[in-house]
Amino acid sequence: MTDVDPDDYSDVWVFVEVHGDEVASVSWELLSEGRRLADEKGEDLVALVIGEDVTEIAEEAVAYGADRALVADDPVFEPYRADPYGEQFRHLVEEYKPDVALIGGTHTGRDFAGRVAVPTHAGLTADCTELDVDDDGLLLARRPTFGGDAMATIKCETHRPQMATVRPGVFDADEPDYDREGEIEETEVVVEEADTLSRVLERSVGDVADITDADVVVAGGAGVEGDFGPIEDLADALDAEVAASRAAVDEGWIEAARQVGQTGKTVRPDLYVAAGISGAVQHLEGMNDSETVVAINSDPNAPIFEHADYGIVGDLFEVCPALAEMIREETRPEVTA
Amino acid sequence: MTTEWTIVVCVKQVPDADEVSIDPQTGTLNRADAAAVMNKPDLNAVEAALALRDEVGGEVIAVTMGPPWADEVLQTAVGLGADDGVLLTDKAFAGSDTWPTSLALARTAEELDADVVICGEESTDSSTGQVPPGMAAHNGWAQLTYVEDLEPRPEDGELVAKRDVEGGYERVAASLPVVVAYEFGENEPRVAGLHRKIYAETEFEPRTWSAADIGVEDEVGLDVSPTQVGGMDTADPVERERERVETPEELFEAMAEDVDRLRGEVTADD
Repeated sequence: MTDVDPDDYSDVWVFVEVHGDEVASVSWELLSEGRRLADEKGEDLVALVIGEDVTEIAEEAVAYGADRALVADDPVFEPYRADPYGEQFRHLVEEYKPDVALIGGTHTGRDFAGRVAVPTHAGLTADCTELDVDDDGLLLARRPTFGGDAMATIKCETHRPQMATVRPGVFDADEPDYDREGEIEETEVVVEEADTLSRVLERSVGDVADITDADVVVAGGAGVEGDFGPIEDLADALDAEVAASRAAVDEGWIEAARQVGQTGKTVRPDLYVAAGISGAVQHLEGMNDSETVVAINSDPNAPIFEHADYGIVGDLFEVCPALAEMIREETRPEVTA
Repeated sequence: MTTEWTIVVCVKQVPDADEVSIDPQTGTLNRADAAAVMNKPDLNAVEAALALRDEVGGEVIAVTMGPPWADEVLQTAVGLGADDGVLLTDKAFAGSDTWPTSLALARTAEELDADVVICGEESTDSSTGQVPPGMAAHNGWAQLTYVEDLEPRPEDGELVAKRDVEGGYERVAASLPVVVAYEFGENEPRVAGLHRKIYAETEFEPRTWSAADIGVEDEVGLDVSPTQVGGMDTADPVERERERVETPEELFEAMAEDVDRLRGEVTADD
């Protein structure tokens, strides 16, 4: 367990998360951010594509900015399981020695990252909200600290690869360029079905709510006390997506896919309405890029007011319905068809 | 083959999130201020472990790593029904990131001859969720994360889990030994019985193990941790108007200044 020589390692890898013939959109977002980091380091951006029949996905990764794609193509990799993916990743790291590896902070991505960081003795930072490289090309991974309004920068100086997970929506994906050229390399598959430790018996996946592209978002927090009715009503009036803080998701009041914040999604709407949300830094990290922020909170000292354009101290159960009514009044089309 | 299972449940003592204060000078956490409690997601892990034992038979052993006073979380677990507890405590562990932490817990699970290890989804103080898959990787065991429900199959030496995946779920059968990370809030933790609670607080003594006891004394601590905190600074504040209004009417007017669609300007594609 000795330190490695960082000079032996180069290139920025992005783990392309494949489910059947679908790719998690966070993978494309990370290729755009990875492109920026690789250019700053003067190194290649490499897409890591593991799955079954994934050549087209590798070509798409090149269109999204990769210089090269490393492909491990085998039925053993579909659907995703931690142990075969982990074994294959370990082999690829030993073979190709990447300096940085970025992984989407989905359930699959976090399951994968935690598994693969151990055998490679990598430094792994969870749920980063900013990435950069210093003058020596060292990755600077920033994430909010527990309970505070401070950001910690995590570094990994003596181990490689430097790994980070990033939640969906933190970065924007660039438009793909299908004229881009890149090398697609098939790698040796080192895993056999007989060696695996688990079997997927059943998989049932439908549409996931996607709040990351919404123009208007109405979010509720602990203050809704289990009743998202006023939030949904206001969202309906504004033709907005409903979102929530972690507190509301942890209480089980709303699905996790609608969580905004460091451990949820990042949104960039024209209008973000935060009702009954105190405004912890973890939440702010997920909505700071909103154009206009409105805060509704019964606590005049709630930090959210410092991070809002317009704030009203009041009961969301009164303010939201009143606001919804005015909006419906104002935006009702004057001419009926 | 015995069909009774040894179930290890990993628990962590964390500052009570509701009581934590921030040092206004440094922006960092005053951990000393806050009461230390069991990491809330670990209560779901303890419940899942006890339910599994009720179904399969065997024993539940709670494990924690921390300062000597972290034995309080073992008392909590034993009060809830765990049969025994192991406290990993040693100055050598100080400053460990998730790599050595998962190593120490993995070696402990091995030492205890665990069939199943159950952890909470993540800790509320560092929220990485990296320790359960890390433990599985250190031991070369199967892993099941984001678990909503468990279905033991002792006759096959397998544990089946319903896992929460983006947009749905999957059911996965894993060979034993296996490390489970139970999703926060997915079960209803039981309430400790009075007699058990009194036993846990007065008579129960955990086994106390050092780094050397599990053979990891040279592989834990700050120096061997791959990641370091390279600096702390305040989050870049985004400039906001910070205008207070008194009534919903004023709020609507203010919003309409900024948001086109509130001015009744219906565009062609609306």
